[in-house]
Amino acid sequence: MNYQGDRTTGFASPAGDNIEGTIDLMSAALDLRQPSRYPVRVEGDALLGRSIRHGDILVVDSAVAPRAGVVVVASVGDELRVCELTQRAGEWWLRSSSPQASSIQVDDDTDVAIWAVATGLVRTDV
Amino acid sequence: MRVYGLIDGNSFYCSCQRAFEPRLKHRPVVVLSNNDGCAIARTREAKALGVKMGDAWHIARKRPESQSIVWYSSNYALYADMSRRMYQVLAERLPAVEPYSIDEMFLDLSDLPGDLHERCRQIRQDVADHAKIPTCIGWGPTKTIAKLANGLAKDHVELDGLCDLTDPAVRKDWYCRTSIDEVWGIGRQTKQKLLGAGIKTIADFVALDAKTVRQMLTVVGARVQAELRGQSCLPLSDIAATRKSIASTRTFGRLLLKWEEIREAIAHYANRAAEKLREDGLEAAHLSVLMQTNPHNGDPWYAKHAAVTIEPTSDARDLIRHATALGRAIWLPGYRYFKAGVVLSDLRPAGSQGLMFAFRDPVQSATVMAAMDAVNARFGSGTLRPGSTGLKRTWSPRQSLLSARYTTRLEEIVRARSW
Repeated sequence: MNYQGDRTTGFASPAGDNIEGTIDLMSAALDLRQPSRYPVRVEGDALLGRSIRHGDILVVDSAVAPRAGVVVVASVGDELRVCELTQRAGEWWLRSSSPQASSIQVDDDTDVAIWAVATGLVRTDV
Repeated sequence: MRVYGLIDGNSFYCSCQRAFEPRLKHRPVVVLSNNDGCAIARTREAKALGVKMGDAWHIARKRPESQSIVWYSSNYALYADMSRRMYQVLAERLPAVEPYSIDEMFLDLSDLPGDLHERCRQIRQDVADHAKIPTCIGWGPTKTIAKLANGLAKDHVELDGLCDLTDPAVRKDWYCRTSIDEVWGIGRQTKQKLLGAGIKTIADFVALDAKTVRQMLTVVGARVQAELRGQSCLPLSDIAATRKSIASTRTFGRLLLKWEEIREAIAHYANRAAEKLREDGLEAAHLSVLMQTNPHNGDPWYAKHAAVTIEPTSDARDLIRHATALGRAIWLPGYRYFKAGVVLSDLRPAGSQGLMFAFRDPVQSATVMAAMDAVNARFGSGTLRPGSTGLKRTWSPRQSLLSARYTTRLEEIVRARSW
């Protein structure tokens, strides 16, 4: 039942000291048990350029420091958005995937704040 | 030096709702008790609109100034997970954390390197960033002082959410201008007794002779005084020790007349209590059932409870059988029942006593219950349950304003539009 390549009955397994177990994707990559990790469902295909699709589950982390170029979940007024983060002259900006829309500066006074940084993605409808 | 801290979430339940809904950031938010009865958590904005703790929702919501308030049913699945996050952020940073209530945790801040004020500011920031809960922290040489400091941090905006009462001179100053009823462990009766003796401020109380305090307020009062003087009497505890009893008691969503409906509710409560027993690896040897009419709606008053000693078990089927039999014995026709409950006590570790005449085969019972628990852990609480707990459950508490369980159910996670 619990054979891992180690406890053979005839010849002793040469791998006995090297048993590592299967990869636990949950703790290795996603780990929603971290107090700063949250799952977020993506709506819309605006970020197809970053291979993020409608219906995807983003795992985001509110403890990760923002960097230019990462995908973030940000609160803009009353709503949460998924978008790219850029940096210009020391200021953080949310960049829209649409060339027509202008970027929005991250600024508490205008109610634009980074909610968390995307660290992983789960897609269940492949 | 020994230093205790107390951190507590500001309007904790409301802050949990705000964490996932930016539209609530500046709006007044109120969370209602089970069954959407009355206000149990209010943001600063809601307090400013005059919503009081315990205000009945059906009255408060009709006031003209309540138009802007966003009301929520209590979402305990969410609050428990947010409390877990808060605890974890703290436990990663400090040697010991005691979860005192769902929104308050005692901290061991003794002998930490560096400036304590800066350390607490950083902890508060991390809890706000990672667990998304705004907090206040108070600290001092005893738990009672830490709790007092926390209250001061909350009440005095200029303190920026942090209050340090380690310095006796600073303490003395606050003690002179703070009322005795701000102290943890001083209830209304004790306060009246002290007021009768001319004791108004904490400074008055601390100055009393210890013997006098013991005579007036027993050892409990003497301990409060010693703690306020800076002598620590209450150490930090671990996560709550084993329970003494498990209660599953609820107000119905509507008044219930028929025994069949009450039987279903009692079976449901017994099933929930049995689940809690098994979570802790316990069995119960004593079970009681209670039911009552509404004391506030003018109905004739009827309240009754009955208890029985049982063969120690955590099998939902046994507990449901005992609970419904007891319930049937105390149910009288003609009353409109408002509330019922099941309480399990005389708890002991599962399997600690061999039974010579067991009603059920203990191995088979454990296997069936483990299978049921496994299904429910995987597919959600209540997925697989005894049929006696009902299918439609029209008596379930009202939760008409329930938000999503953002962190514990995949179907209910936060949604964000890609932009």
